[in-house]
Amino acid sequence: MTCTISHMTITAGAPPTHNTPTDLALGFLTGGVIGASLTAFIGGCIVERAPLIVTGLVLPAVCGLVFFLATLPRRAREAAVVPRTALAVIEDLEAVGGETSDVPVRFELSVAPDDAPAFRVEIRQDVNLVELPDYRPRGVVVVEYPPDRPWKVRIVKRPTPQWEERAAGARLDSAPGPTMTSDPPAGCAGGLLTLLGLLLGAVAVLLLFRVDLFGPDESSASPRPSVSSSSSSTTTVTSATGTVTLGPGQSMLDKGELRKAVESLTQGGDKRRALTVVVQDRLLTVVFSPTGVKTAGFDPRSLPYDRVSSLVEEARTTLGVDSPQSWQLTADGVTGSLTLRVTVTGDGGTGTLEADGRGKVQRHSGS
Amino acid sequence: MGWDEFLVLWCGVWGVVAVIGFARSLAGVTKAQRTIRLTGRIERVRAPRHGGSRVGGISVVVSYRDPASGQEVSVTNDGERGEMITSAWEGREIGVSHPRGRPHAYRFSNVPEEPSRGLGWPGFAVFLVYVGLVVLAAVEWGWPWALIGLGGPWAVSGAVHLPGAVRAKNRRVERLAAMETVAGRVVAVLKDVSVDQDDGHTWTTITPVVSFTTREGTAVTAHCTSNLQDPAGAYGRAVTVHYTPADPAEFTLDRAAEHRSEERDVTFNVLVFVVLVATAVVGVVLL
Repeated sequence: MTCTISHMTITAGAPPTHNTPTDLALGFLTGGVIGASLTAFIGGCIVERAPLIVTGLVLPAVCGLVFFLATLPRRAREAAVVPRTALAVIEDLEAVGGETSDVPVRFELSVAPDDAPAFRVEIRQDVNLVELPDYRPRGVVVVEYPPDRPWKVRIVKRPTPQWEERAAGARLDSAPGPTMTSDPPAGCAGGLLTLLGLLLGAVAVLLLFRVDLFGPDESSASPRPSVSSSSSSTTTVTSATGTVTLGPGQSMLDKGELRKAVESLTQGGDKRRALTVVVQDRLLTVVFSPTGVKTAGFDPRSLPYDRVSSLVEEARTTLGVDSPQSWQLTADGVTGSLTLRVTVTGDGGTGTLEADGRGKVQRHSGS
Repeated sequence: MGWDEFLVLWCGVWGVVAVIGFARSLAGVTKAQRTIRLTGRIERVRAPRHGGSRVGGISVVVSYRDPASGQEVSVTNDGERGEMITSAWEGREIGVSHPRGRPHAYRFSNVPEEPSRGLGWPGFAVFLVYVGLVVLAAVEWGWPWALIGLGGPWAVSGAVHLPGAVRAKNRRVERLAAMETVAGRVVAVLKDVSVDQDDGHTWTTITPVVSFTTREGTAVTAHCTSNLQDPAGAYGRAVTVHYTPADPAEFTLDRAAEHRSEERDVTFNVLVFVVLVATAVVGVVLL
């Protein structure tokens, strides 16, 4: 005994309408994801930033997964519907172009199910050029469609022998009523929203990652200082200067303190040269040579640290300054040779002591 | 997030996917395990139309017994129905499968299928974890690890499978020698034209269809895409067909060419194996 796959009674839904809000929102989101991921991936490749590249790859994958999971129940429901097979008569057909061997053809059909009212539907289906003469107006064909979506009619090109025999001997009347269509006319609103989403997605990525993509903001073109603090000192470094401020109760004349402070400004292996180093009791200031200028200045780590304390002491005691209150050591290498100048200020005026790069006293002067 | 963190995340995600897949397989709920696999029989072979399309394969009517109702069901290969039927004769057994509870979503395979455990996707996830680990090793320890990671495992896999490939080739050569020879004819030449939407380039696929009758009286219709001179102009041409009596789907128009092809396949496999071993060795040397 031979049978065909059984049918079940299912209520047909409404045909698709022109651009529903859901379709528009989906188009907008799709455009946004495409724009954002493309911008992130291409931008990331250009500036060699892994987070951007990863964002460009992961974003569409995650969105695709979310879409897949969200539509899973609907697709499962639709897949469970047993398609209905019926005879249909071709009311009209028109090849609508195409350069391939399968040309798209617009069919207007009157479908006559065995156990449901006849209806008219307009569909579009590819037909091979060789088979095209088989389809002509008033010809009877076998069709298949999901009962809950009768506008999704498909012509069965290879029907079973039973349906082939039925189609060969059938005479069908045209069905009255409006024609359902499976392809709602595409509106420009959907395309525009998709384009808008694409642009906004690209702009969003450009804004979110503007620092990575374009570097620091123009308004803050001067590099921000790097500030680090500890319980005993505060270190501030910019591209031009570096300062170290000691905490209360400490002095640059303490053993090893000045060397440590200088090294804290020149750490990192960049070995930057200095034009001037100014040392006060609790403050160290280093003026670095401009970046790229290798010859100017001196290496601040080459200062005669073990001589600084005795030079300051000598200046305070031998320059004739009464009650010396403050001192300042200036190491100057702008002219090429390194010169140390210790200035002592007190109630009775100011005195200056000059020494060479090795800390050997060259001259005294006082007022 | 740097590359190393991303690669660790990559391996972690695909590792979880693989574990879930293996767990589903153990629980017997994978798609493959929920598929009903049946054996169908070709009841009718419809002659292909000269100049038509190869898409969909040779048009056949297949019947199989529905295990749920016990009734005989007739179906055709209309639309997307699994593997393309490229060799057909009345009485040929082919595979018919469908998801449990959805017989209308049937699909064909050229031979009846064995039950599957559905480990394809979990295996692919493991492969992606492996790729991530190789890249991670190359990033962390140096690029020679990419050579070792690529060449080493695949060379081992090649060493395991190479003897089997040689034995398969020998069996194939034996079957070629034992083939029967009959006269056949090119009954149609199928033509598919597609256009590249980007550059407008036109692609044309020519598929000759031969028909021959075996010594046992079986009329075979089959796509024949190799060993036929000027396939576009072959319509109506008489040909000599060599076929395996046990399975007429295994046929050729040129046994010598098939023999050479088998030899080339083995040589290619050996070359690939050597390249993989060399890749791994170079990686070790460069460490």
